[in-house]
Amino acid sequence: MNKVWLVIKREYLYNLRRPAFLFAALGTPIFFIAIFVLSIVITSETQRDVADLTQVGYVDNAGVLNAGMMLEDYPDLFSAYPDETAARAALDDGTVDGYAVIAENYMQSGVVNLYSYDGLPENMRSVVDQLITLNLTQGVELGLPQNLVLDSLEMTVQLGEGGRELNDEALIGLIIFPLIFAIVFVMATQFTSGFLMSGLVDERTNRIMEVLVTSVTPGQLLTGKLIGLFLLGLTQLTIWVGAGLAVSLLGRDVEILSGVILTPDMVIFGLIYFVLGYLLVASVMAGIGAIVNSEQESRQMAFFITFPLFVPYFFLVQFLLEPNDTIPVVLSLIPFTAPMSMMMRLGVTTVPAWQIAASIGLLLLTTVVFTWGSIKVFRWGLLLYGKKLRPREILAVLRGNPYAYSDPVIETTGQAVKETSR
Amino acid sequence: MKEQVALQVDHVSKSYGDFRAVDNVSFEVNRGEIFAMLGPNGAGKSTTIRMILDIMKPDTGTIRVFGAPINDASKDRIGYLPEERGLYKGVKVIDVMTYLGTLKGMSHRNAHDRAMEMLERLDLQDNANSKVSELSKGMGQKVQFAVTVLHEPDLVIIDEPFSGLDPVNTMTIKQLILDMREKGTAIIMSTHQMQQVEEMADRLLMINRGKQALYGSVNDVRRQYALHAVIVDGEGNWEGLPGVVQVENAPNERDSKLLHLAENVSTNDLLASIAATPGTNITRFEEAVPSLNDIFIRVVGERVLSTGDVERVEMERV
Repeated sequence: MNKVWLVIKREYLYNLRRPAFLFAALGTPIFFIAIFVLSIVITSETQRDVADLTQVGYVDNAGVLNAGMMLEDYPDLFSAYPDETAARAALDDGTVDGYAVIAENYMQSGVVNLYSYDGLPENMRSVVDQLITLNLTQGVELGLPQNLVLDSLEMTVQLGEGGRELNDEALIGLIIFPLIFAIVFVMATQFTSGFLMSGLVDERTNRIMEVLVTSVTPGQLLTGKLIGLFLLGLTQLTIWVGAGLAVSLLGRDVEILSGVILTPDMVIFGLIYFVLGYLLVASVMAGIGAIVNSEQESRQMAFFITFPLFVPYFFLVQFLLEPNDTIPVVLSLIPFTAPMSMMMRLGVTTVPAWQIAASIGLLLLTTVVFTWGSIKVFRWGLLLYGKKLRPREILAVLRGNPYAYSDPVIETTGQAVKETSR
Repeated sequence: MKEQVALQVDHVSKSYGDFRAVDNVSFEVNRGEIFAMLGPNGAGKSTTIRMILDIMKPDTGTIRVFGAPINDASKDRIGYLPEERGLYKGVKVIDVMTYLGTLKGMSHRNAHDRAMEMLERLDLQDNANSKVSELSKGMGQKVQFAVTVLHEPDLVIIDEPFSGLDPVNTMTIKQLILDMREKGTAIIMSTHQMQQVEEMADRLLMINRGKQALYGSVNDVRRQYALHAVIVDGEGNWEGLPGVVQVENAPNERDSKLLHLAENVSTNDLLASIAATPGTNITRFEEAVPSLNDIFIRVVGERVLSTGDVERVEMERV
């Protein structure tokens, strides 16, 4: 156990200081923060407020402003023009900064066109909306609070029987969490298991493996590596999530994130799927790392392993609209696609308990089988230099009879190969 | 407690498919001795070593290290220098050494201090903070050797310890090995440098084509291959001496003669005859014990021949 701990420590600390890790772990958030800050700076420079404007004209073809009410905040801002030509003339000679043309069929279409030379502030549209609403409601004397009329699109969605109750902001949040999980899962898994694989290839090509396995068992070595790099992945996640929070606090749009619902069951399932999914991918990567002979080769093979992880993305729409349809259900049961699929489904629907149990059960079983298999392949493969294992040989290794298909050359030099095969 | 017998290999065999890499090999290695493992490339030495180190399991036979089957505790008492050298390239020398030391059960501090001590002894103290990739080949070899013995193992297995070393470094490493023997370490040395074996090894095992070809003390093995003959330098009528049945030029010698003796004549008898024969002058008188190199070539050559014979017989039968 002590040796596993030593390997964990070494793998964690060594990879933590690697430029590739620092670049990805720190560089990625720095890059996004930089873009974010830049966009804030740029927009704040160009951003103007309606209050900065001197005059805005309007042409009321629908007669919705006939009540003649003015907004309390902007009592003198708006001035009426009989037609578009007059308004255009006022714009050309600088009397107004811009003008709004309310379409004749506004009551049906709600169309208001805004015209200006320099562009109008972002909130211009909502101010015009408010002006129209004020005039319309004032005329009818509904006696309702204004904001209720304005926010008439507020809605509540109930998920299944006793499911989560959500408003529209939460709906966004509910899609965001599974998406964030999916992205983070794939990135962290790929990244750390990639480290695991390249580390193994490195140790084999550097021939340090032979010394290592006389100190620790292949099982200890692999366990230590899996855990050490898992912790590295967690570190990376922490940095990213921390940076993400910092960015959202920096920006003023925290409202979007406030909709993100982190219920305990989502967190628990997220952790279960992350750990198992990582172990599954990493153990496969370790197996690959133990039999290929170059980084390049390992990358090619790794592509085929990580490809299934992305498959649920192709069915994103299905997941959001029909989360209990055949494809999402099947994908959430297949171990390689299960973590991402199930998390997306858990976010948008109530998943039957048996499906969750079956999904986790299958994933656990596959993970155990693959970890066991990779230790076997690993044990055999780490001593083979410059020799490619063919598929049938890998099968032979798994069956515990690795020598059946192997040439005797594995432990001899080139000279001896000639001798023994003669 | 230190066991007298560090390693017992008992009737061990290992096959790769139809190929018998190691065939019924048995030997023991004692503490405080240098045990040479010899054999041509592909003879089965590496397989044997890997089985001792528990990297591979033997098909049949048993291996006991310090009196018991290998376990985590006994692994910590073994040091192994593989023929194919390698260290983490992008890492500082001292860090690699410390890490590999801790994997052998040393505390971090202890491993670090021992590593510095070894580096000083090998005149590499200035390279402690260099990256492994910055070392010259010889330096790398020395660091690797230091890693092997860092934890003061009781059983050291070294494969070609002198390859890539200049004469000065060879001397340094040789002295380290001899010092370890002095302290009671059991040392298994696999090498093709017969000169070093003759100078250093106490006992040897020669494997050829997976089979045990020679096993015993270096002196016994050499004597076993000794001819009933004497090598002499000097002047005289060698053919005329009583008891000399044949005279030829000694192999691999410039002016020496090889005198074959009759079966009932001892070397002492011959020496007496020489002393008693006027006009005979000797500057060298030596029992014709072959060098390990000669024995090696003879053993390996014989086996190739005999295997060839077997093959021919089988072909005739077919």
